[in-house]
Amino acid sequence: MSAAHAAAHGAHHGGSYLTPKGGFITTVWDWMTTVDHKKIGVMYLFAILFMFFLGGVAALVVRTELWTPTRTTEAGTITGQLLAPADAKSVATGNDWYNRFFTLHGAIMVFMVIVPSIPASLGNFFLPLMLGAKDVAFPRLNLLSWYIYVIGSMFAVGSIIGNGVDTGWTFYTPYSTTTDPNHWRVVFMVTAAFVLGFSSILTGLNFVVTVHKLRAPGMGWFDMPLFVWAVYSSGVIQVLATPVIGITLLLLIFERLFNVGIFDPALGGDPVLYQHFFWFYSHPVVYVMILPGMGIISDVLAVHSQKKIFGYRAIAYSSLGIAGVSFIVWGHHMFTSMSEVASAVFSGLTFLVAIPTAVKVFNWIATLYKGSISFTTPMVYALIFLFLFSIGGLTGLPLGTLSTDLHLHDSYFVVAHFHYVMMGGTIMAIMAGLHHWWPKMFGRMYNQFWATTAAIIVFIGFNVTFFTQFFLGVRGMPRRYASFIPEFQDYHRISTIGSYILLVGFLLHLLVFLHSLVVGRKASQNPWGGLTMEWEASTPPSEHNFEHEPLCKHGPYDYDTTVPPGWDPKDYPIPAENLRVAAAVGH
Amino acid sequence: MHVTSNILNMSGLGDSLLLNVFGNRFWHEQWFGGPAASASAQEADDMYMWLWWFCVAWFVFLMVLMAYFVVAYRRRPRVIAQRSAAHNVPLELAWTIIPTLFLAYIFFRGFHSYMDRVVSPGNAVEMNLTGWKWSWKIEYPNGAESTAQTVIGARPVPVFYVPAEQPIKLRMNSMDVMHAFWVPDLRLKQDVIPNRYTTMTINFDKPREGETVHTYPATQELADNDPKYREFAGNLYNKALAGVEYTEHHVFCAEYCGTEHSEMAAIIRVIPPQYFPEYLESIGIGSKTPLEIGQIVWKSKCASCHNIDGANTGPEWRNLYGNEHEYTDGSKFVADDNFIRESIREPGKHIRKGYTNQMTPWSENLLPEKHVLGVIEYMKSISNKGGAAAPESAPAPATGEAEKK
Repeated sequence: MSAAHAAAHGAHHGGSYLTPKGGFITTVWDWMTTVDHKKIGVMYLFAILFMFFLGGVAALVVRTELWTPTRTTEAGTITGQLLAPADAKSVATGNDWYNRFFTLHGAIMVFMVIVPSIPASLGNFFLPLMLGAKDVAFPRLNLLSWYIYVIGSMFAVGSIIGNGVDTGWTFYTPYSTTTDPNHWRVVFMVTAAFVLGFSSILTGLNFVVTVHKLRAPGMGWFDMPLFVWAVYSSGVIQVLATPVIGITLLLLIFERLFNVGIFDPALGGDPVLYQHFFWFYSHPVVYVMILPGMGIISDVLAVHSQKKIFGYRAIAYSSLGIAGVSFIVWGHHMFTSMSEVASAVFSGLTFLVAIPTAVKVFNWIATLYKGSISFTTPMVYALIFLFLFSIGGLTGLPLGTLSTDLHLHDSYFVVAHFHYVMMGGTIMAIMAGLHHWWPKMFGRMYNQFWATTAAIIVFIGFNVTFFTQFFLGVRGMPRRYASFIPEFQDYHRISTIGSYILLVGFLLHLLVFLHSLVVGRKASQNPWGGLTMEWEASTPPSEHNFEHEPLCKHGPYDYDTTVPPGWDPKDYPIPAENLRVAAAVGH
Repeated sequence: MHVTSNILNMSGLGDSLLLNVFGNRFWHEQWFGGPAASASAQEADDMYMWLWWFCVAWFVFLMVLMAYFVVAYRRRPRVIAQRSAAHNVPLELAWTIIPTLFLAYIFFRGFHSYMDRVVSPGNAVEMNLTGWKWSWKIEYPNGAESTAQTVIGARPVPVFYVPAEQPIKLRMNSMDVMHAFWVPDLRLKQDVIPNRYTTMTINFDKPREGETVHTYPATQELADNDPKYREFAGNLYNKALAGVEYTEHHVFCAEYCGTEHSEMAAIIRVIPPQYFPEYLESIGIGSKTPLEIGQIVWKSKCASCHNIDGANTGPEWRNLYGNEHEYTDGSKFVADDNFIRESIREPGKHIRKGYTNQMTPWSENLLPEKHVLGVIEYMKSISNKGGAAAPESAPAPATGEAEKK
């Protein structure tokens, strides 16, 4: 079926899911009450991008403040002069502002951006399509989870408007139960995280059930795209781990509001218990953040090198392996507050998680071997991911090693490490996925030259910002510092310059996307030549995804033997000759 | 320059021939800053540099492979994508087992070195370290507390003098929230927790190659001209240290603790062990009179806000004791022993007219009873109504009268 044919066919049946249902009000109402996974995915995408913008602004404020060291109480050169010039006399005010901004950055980026980002936006949109399903298993629950996300985010924004929270995104007790005693802001922020947890649980549950029950006829577990495997694994973690943080945060709220002694030693509680509870969720959730990203990379690498993924089963099993091991490594966040024996046990377990991760990287690189690699924007982002994620993974080794972690714990080395994993991993993966699926989602192409240029700017800015921080950390710069000794200034300045390069890159991306939405060339049904089922749907997909229930007739990466669905020789970037093998096999 | 010294202290796979030529210490200083200040820190550096080269090697290997594939197999017209295997069991087993072996080695080496570093030797001297929002103090074995201060930028921070080549076991506790005691030069860090003791063993070497050695001013005049030692509020010139050479090491709080988290620093000065007993003696309060104690407490803890002559942020102390003063709520009190004690423990209760309350409540933890008594004695000594301790032989104030308010 050619793209033109598909489009005509789609139009015949009432057009794509994007076709307005009537006037402005009707359309808005239609979107607000939709149970269509695609619309919910798009709404999630925009909500998350908005929060990403807020979190990014907070990050820039933090980096800007760190342009000068200023460890002094004397007026004129005080810490925080950039943040609170009116209060230039008080070191405390400047620091408080700084503390609120980094808390804001952390809380938004973790709870409102990275955790939900890939599953809730791209996962929502493409998981059913990739399975050949009409929708997720529980469409209404899906809409509910979006509203819960919005309500949770509003709680967070509420506490921000009310002057912000200064606990750090980890809410460590007893600081978080004692700071700002007469105000409700911490309670608001914690409530936000609690509410957002339900959104996670519902989405995770929905996806797990969808994968189990709604696969297209003929699609076995090992015929699923690896993105689906990854989202499935992270869904399992979300369902199992999120209730723990929910209860923990609830206990925290109880302690604050009703003086129930659980974590605050002044009330007879134990602060280290809080850390255990917190990381019991927050470590597995690191893999909720990265696994879907790994799934995207698996798919993008295969499609844009027209190559069967290397070691499909190893990648699929390693997703599950990572999900399992992730539950028993939380203690590595606490090497400096636990007993020596517990530290040793957790250090050993931590190294276990490195093995499936390393296996994935090897598989990805092996996939490139003898491929037909095209430098499309998604592919460039996938390569950037491999570069940055490898650094992120390898720098985890000195942190998992007990002897060196004593020095590096809570330093800028940690900051750099988790930015390489979370931003260099997850955010780069979502950029790869967004560029990969953008034509399918919105039916338009974007300018690849400028998108790739933006990607390279982001890559450079990212490394300038965060690679310096490894050196800062080893040299003794602690994290969450509003001011620092002058020796560190040069590194901090390089890092701050890098953060502005990042800003330029992301703004350019924004322009490219807007340009694409307004004047972008119409995308064909299958611009990259993908074999997974979402490419069998029209572009953009019709409201019910597929005209007929699709049958799974080939594996997701069988490039050797299959002609991609909806292949249009005019659009298709793969030279026809390259497909000779496929044609010869007899499609 | 440190290449040769690196021949010592070697173990394990990492110190292969190739790496010795470069020298871990040399590269560590090139990229990661100052020399380690103890043998245990050196061990951590060696481990770190081994890991660094290990990571660099893997990273370069992976990226070269990736770059080669990306270039060699770039999409070209009229070139057919070659078929290749989608899995290969021996290869996959190899790249699972080989990293596992490496990781096991790293774990055991890190564990071994960790145990060396956290278990304190039997001859360690014990000291108590207390952290609170937002400072640190050490209590020495003779009961004396650290009172010396210096400045970073313009901010006063506490100074802890410790002997070199003497293991010290710090027993640590927090008075409020979580803190963490980090000495970057020792590559050591330990959380300081409110409801339990944690311990950390520090063991500074004598100055190592590459470390800056400072000299304590030989006379008070020299000290007064140097902002580092100048006698400002809370800092006393100490004759016991005159001319002593020492090394300086930063301490940072590494666990986020609120507003002044980033100001919660300290300086450790490591002095040759032979000077340490005399230093301890000089700051000890065991044999001091309450008046002397009060003087030390004033200088170290009160003088930044309370002058003896003239007003500062807080009321002047001369002629404060035994006299009646007016407070913001209109009440009047005579500053007697109990009133002063109350004003130290709960400073917000009565605010002197014309002032605002900016004082931290000094709990028993921060200022033991003995020190409070010392302060009272010192106040008496500079008041015209201070009784026997009064400077001028003013008519003996009726202490009993004052007590009645």
